[in-house]
Amino acid sequence: MPEGNQGITRAKIIYRDRLRRGKELKGEGRKILGYLCLHAPLEMMTALQIVPFRMLGDIDENPTQVDRFLPRAFCPFVRSVFDLSLKGKYDFLDGMILVHSCDAMERTGRIWESVVDHQYFHFMDLPTKVSERHQNFFRESLNDFKKTLEKLTGKELSFEELKKAIASHNEQRGLVKSLYEVTEKVSPKILGSEILQVIGAITSIPVKDGNKLLREVLTEIGRRKSIKLKGPRIFIWGSVLDHPAFLEMIEDLGAHVVIDDLCTGTRGYWADVKLDGDLLGALAYYYLVELRCPRTFKKAPNDGRRKNYLADLEERFGYLREFIKTWKVDGAILQSVKYCDCHGFEIPQVKDFFNSLGIPSLLLEHNYMIADKEILKTRVEAFLEMLRGGVE
Amino acid sequence: MGKEGKKKYINRLKSFFPLRTKIDETYKKSLEAIQTGKPVAWAMINAWYGDPILRAMDLETVYPENFGAVCAAEGIAESYLNRADADGFPSHLCGYARNCFGYVSRMTKELKGEIPPEAPVGGMPKPIFLLSSNIGCDARYKWFQALGRYLDAPVWVLDMPIPGVKELFREGVYERCIQFIVEELKEFVQFLEDILAMKMDWDRLEKTVHDIEEMNRVWFEINELRKTIPCPMHSRDFWSAMPPSLFLAGRPAETLILYQEMLKEVKDRVDHQISSILTEEKFRLLFSELPPWHSLGVFEKMAERGWNFVIESWGYHPPPPLDLSGISDPLEHIARFSFHFHTAYFKDALEEKEYYGYMGYPLLKFAREYKCDGAFFHLPLTCRSTSTHQLYLQEKMRQKLKIPSMIVNGDIVDLRLFNPTEVIKRMEPFEESMESYRKMREKKS
Repeated sequence: MPEGNQGITRAKIIYRDRLRRGKELKGEGRKILGYLCLHAPLEMMTALQIVPFRMLGDIDENPTQVDRFLPRAFCPFVRSVFDLSLKGKYDFLDGMILVHSCDAMERTGRIWESVVDHQYFHFMDLPTKVSERHQNFFRESLNDFKKTLEKLTGKELSFEELKKAIASHNEQRGLVKSLYEVTEKVSPKILGSEILQVIGAITSIPVKDGNKLLREVLTEIGRRKSIKLKGPRIFIWGSVLDHPAFLEMIEDLGAHVVIDDLCTGTRGYWADVKLDGDLLGALAYYYLVELRCPRTFKKAPNDGRRKNYLADLEERFGYLREFIKTWKVDGAILQSVKYCDCHGFEIPQVKDFFNSLGIPSLLLEHNYMIADKEILKTRVEAFLEMLRGGVE
Repeated sequence: MGKEGKKKYINRLKSFFPLRTKIDETYKKSLEAIQTGKPVAWAMINAWYGDPILRAMDLETVYPENFGAVCAAEGIAESYLNRADADGFPSHLCGYARNCFGYVSRMTKELKGEIPPEAPVGGMPKPIFLLSSNIGCDARYKWFQALGRYLDAPVWVLDMPIPGVKELFREGVYERCIQFIVEELKEFVQFLEDILAMKMDWDRLEKTVHDIEEMNRVWFEINELRKTIPCPMHSRDFWSAMPPSLFLAGRPAETLILYQEMLKEVKDRVDHQISSILTEEKFRLLFSELPPWHSLGVFEKMAERGWNFVIESWGYHPPPPLDLSGISDPLEHIARFSFHFHTAYFKDALEEKEYYGYMGYPLLKFAREYKCDGAFFHLPLTCRSTSTHQLYLQEKMRQKLKIPSMIVNGDIVDLRLFNPTEVIKRMEPFEESMESYRKMREKKS
């Protein structure tokens, strides 16, 4: 491992100390806006020299203050983030952009705006469907967001600056994809848990700094030896996982987490925003259509008078074939935080899809907190043994 | 069903009974029509967004949410919930959805598409399509999407924009939302015309829309009268009489007449100061969200102690009337009315810097305007849509309005979670709390 704070070590430090890094950025005079979910249009903030800061929870911190406002039977991730905000941990933010990606975020956002005194708070609605008409409607919402950002900064969001910002974020997407190309190999040189931390780091610093960090990480990986784990090769699907503990648990049991379909993993990095023509329209297309999240309703195009279930599954999950084939996946772990309706309703259908491809899968629901890791370990262990034995 | 005491303390409206008879009659006719092969749609409650269209196309409609409540009340839900669990659906999902999954799984996997014999109120026959929307919660469209495992009925989602409170008043946003909804409806009509192989009868739609607006206007007026002291109409009557409005149960033109009769009776009670409880109205209460359908008898116990439930949550009430007289397009009528349902209180909310403009803020407004002494928050475990805001509102009501509340855990289908005995035990201490806060409010004013 390289000496000094570089590459993956630096990424891990930034990730683990991200709140401190946020305060440092604030101290440097940067404007910082928090967001919870992938659907926040980062490029628009970057174009106005605002640092988009992804707000994560803390699996080690027991939520307490949030009990005044949210029931316990509720998304534990959102509860955790809101709790940290109520405790002042996110006081360095100049404000927040909250997108209507799911009930938990939308409903909490209404309460958040009412109780936390941020200088700036923008609520952005997001259509459920993806047709051109819905994209056009969302484009207008992005235009509204542009106006409030311009008011916050006192600057105009120019076409040129937006184009540059999109180019930087596209570059970041390409660099993250390069990280995952490393895990394609039979003996990868980076762990899935490390990738998660790198992504956690780059979502808390300006995009150009994040790109520099990613290039450092890729250079370091080039010098690394392969990490020999006995396998199998695991695909992780599901709701937000913002801490490496879950993946580390799987890796400690000897498996490689080679690819994922997570909002803290590939989902934000697998497609680019188009750089020609109407840039707001391109952003609308990317954030509504390209981002793969169960909150968006998609169905097979010829689903007229009769629904074809397999065609429907193909439309919604067909992109996972590439992951399974290219990353030579042996098995999938379908995980979700409890009380996540978008993923919860999706789970049996994703399982049906994996079954149709002959890929064994394990369903795991968890409460997000660190204690859950031990409870889940036995089930994961049994699943991995089953995969190793090649027994269905 | 919860057991009711022998002596009744809630003074039910007489005008409810012909309304109930009419609902039952219409339901029976609907069942007969379905049994003769008339196509059926399953729909989510959609705040008068899709329902007028379905009604104008003469489509029989069944509401699985409503069916879930009936299954819970009849004690049949548990078997369906267990079946949904066995089929891999997480147990934290909406109880109505899981009830439906279990029902459909049994219908399609065991009974080759026939209605299960144990299903209450005639069950739900296989639909030709499923109408969902994003109104209310994510479950509303994810649930119907997941039914694809069992049914080959296509899903149609009606998208409703729900901007933020501040965001609604930015230039152009309101009208943009209306135009969007109108276009959604146009596409929906095209879909129906294709699937039913018949054209929309636009005159019939116009009449249907007019009847719905009038019916809701009268229903709104009835509920305004409940601000009177003593309150002339109890929540029990509200819940019993709301299906024609919320689900369009019955025919709107006929319901309008029956609501007008109800309005007369309620006005008469106001004129003669007749209360909806047969004891002295000691405390006026707001009931938050879905009631425990299987244990409604507990309200008799509360009425016995002088608790009058005078108002319920926003989601079950029609919006304040809207003047749409200058608009000829029935689709635009629907768009404005349905969007108004969601946003009617946003202006007031903004003035008070309350950003939970629907579901949340209206409860504060209602508690104030209906002069409530307390609030009863029913927290259903598997319905996040109706439970998310309750703790926040409990705090707001106490701080801002000096109105205390009690939170009682329950669920929309799992009978085991709501404990009427616990409620009864908590009544006396809560009365002390209501008395104490009443004195605080009096001192403050």
